[in-house]
Amino acid sequence: MNATPGGRKRGTRAEGENAFVGVGLRPVHFPHLLKRPRVAVSWFEALTENYLDSEGRPLEVLLKIRDDFPVALHGVSLSIGGVEGPRPGYLEKLKALAERVEPFLITDHLCFTGAHASNTHDLLPLPYTEEAILTVARNVGIAQDVLGRQIALENVSSYLSYRESKMTEWEFLIAVARRSGCKILLDVNNAYVSAVNHRFSPESYVDAVPAELVAQIHLGGYTDTGKFLFDTHSRAPTDPVWELYRRTIRRMPATPVLIEWDEDVPEWAGLEAQAIRAAEIQREERERQPA
Amino acid sequence: MSDSPLDALQRRFVRSITFMADPELVASVTGGGALTAAEAVDVYRGGYPARLTEALGETYEICWRVLGDEAFFAAARGFIARFPSRSHNLSDYGAEFPEFLESLPIASDAPYLGDLARYAWTFKELFHAPPHAGLAAAVLAAKARPEAVFRFGSALRLLALRHRVYGIFRRDDEDESPIQEADWKGEERLILYKKEGNPIYVRELTAPEHAALTALAAGLPLADALASADGLDEAGAQELFGFVSASGIVTAVA
Repeated sequence: MNATPGGRKRGTRAEGENAFVGVGLRPVHFPHLLKRPRVAVSWFEALTENYLDSEGRPLEVLLKIRDDFPVALHGVSLSIGGVEGPRPGYLEKLKALAERVEPFLITDHLCFTGAHASNTHDLLPLPYTEEAILTVARNVGIAQDVLGRQIALENVSSYLSYRESKMTEWEFLIAVARRSGCKILLDVNNAYVSAVNHRFSPESYVDAVPAELVAQIHLGGYTDTGKFLFDTHSRAPTDPVWELYRRTIRRMPATPVLIEWDEDVPEWAGLEAQAIRAAEIQREERERQPA
Repeated sequence: MSDSPLDALQRRFVRSITFMADPELVASVTGGGALTAAEAVDVYRGGYPARLTEALGETYEICWRVLGDEAFFAAARGFIARFPSRSHNLSDYGAEFPEFLESLPIASDAPYLGDLARYAWTFKELFHAPPHAGLAAAVLAAKARPEAVFRFGSALRLLALRHRVYGIFRRDDEDESPIQEADWKGEERLILYKKEGNPIYVRELTAPEHAALTALAAGLPLADALASADGLDEAGAQELFGFVSASGIVTAVA
């Protein structure tokens, strides 16, 4: 599998110094990007569900962007931890979309999103148990068989923990990846949010994740409600998250990194500035590597 | 159906979000940060209606504008309590909203609301429909024999509404003047379609035009479709054929 932004590309623009840094593709930036400006990012992430059932303008724009840039598909409704398994038809639609977009990576979240045919459209945390690992591993097998490729799963932010959990979040994440054969999308912001909310060390978390399992890194912003940290993707990453990212990227300096911003999305230059900062840190850490 | 601990937990969690907090779920978790267990479950409970309200607001933005925040959010709350989301796609949510709006007391003052929502849903559906390549006017003219059966493209919707809502849908965002009975009184028939790409075009139809196009869409031969449209005279048929030719809505002729 070639899961770097350089693989399977139809076109490339703005590659070079920021070759590993991408941003989430959002409709508010469509008009700007369609003018084909020089940009400081080298790939985009598209939200799978925005294109899965649409043949309209958004897909038209995505395919135009794809002519110039590598794209990753990032889903929110695979429900990989759901006991009932993936919804009928979802994987087939995702496969059809992937055949058109040719993403360098397909990702979703390590969570469940519904039960009993209902979808909550939320990323609900799983208990860290053997049964949950087996359930995810079974569903990853189904997904990878249908898609004909490896996927990556993202650690989610959580606001509660289950009393029945038998291991740490990172032990669970690593066990899922090893036993299912999928990769990890390591969201550094989510690791930080969950660490603060559940009072564990974020450094222990990111240090424990083997570099060879990580296919991509996400960076986003949270909101401090005063009672807990809320993963809102409505602002830039905070300083502690940037520090955690630096610590993470030191061990995996060639891993694709994405800036996620979903609410109160800034104008392009504001988003691009965050990508440039991520690229600079990545470059600094790459240059520190022994020759 | 599996009845494992994970299955039971997932059902409790989803029921807690879509219905009411399950005491067993609350007892089985610890809140993050300074949250109690119940408050932590409420974080997830609160996100669900917020996301579905946002989805309804996106599809039915025109209804939101007409109703105002308070009435629209109240309608959304009632709808969400009754209709859970079943699709992976938030954009699919709210197909039953037009009928739901018509069932509300507010519809007695604004009887056009259901049709306005129906138009908005149709517009949303067409927005996501694949554009099609229509036959060129000259090709269509050469094939348009009386026994010809037209096949319409996928990016086309015919609407017959009991109220005139297209003008309301097109009102400027800044136009806050009250909607008068004269704005919506009377039936309206419309065709919405895409032509050579993704822009959506709308044309108002007469009742005979709508009947003829509906018959054509159902697969009736051209002559039979035109004959089935009461009140469509020769001049009207010529004008309708001119529109059909120019709009590119026919993709094949059998």
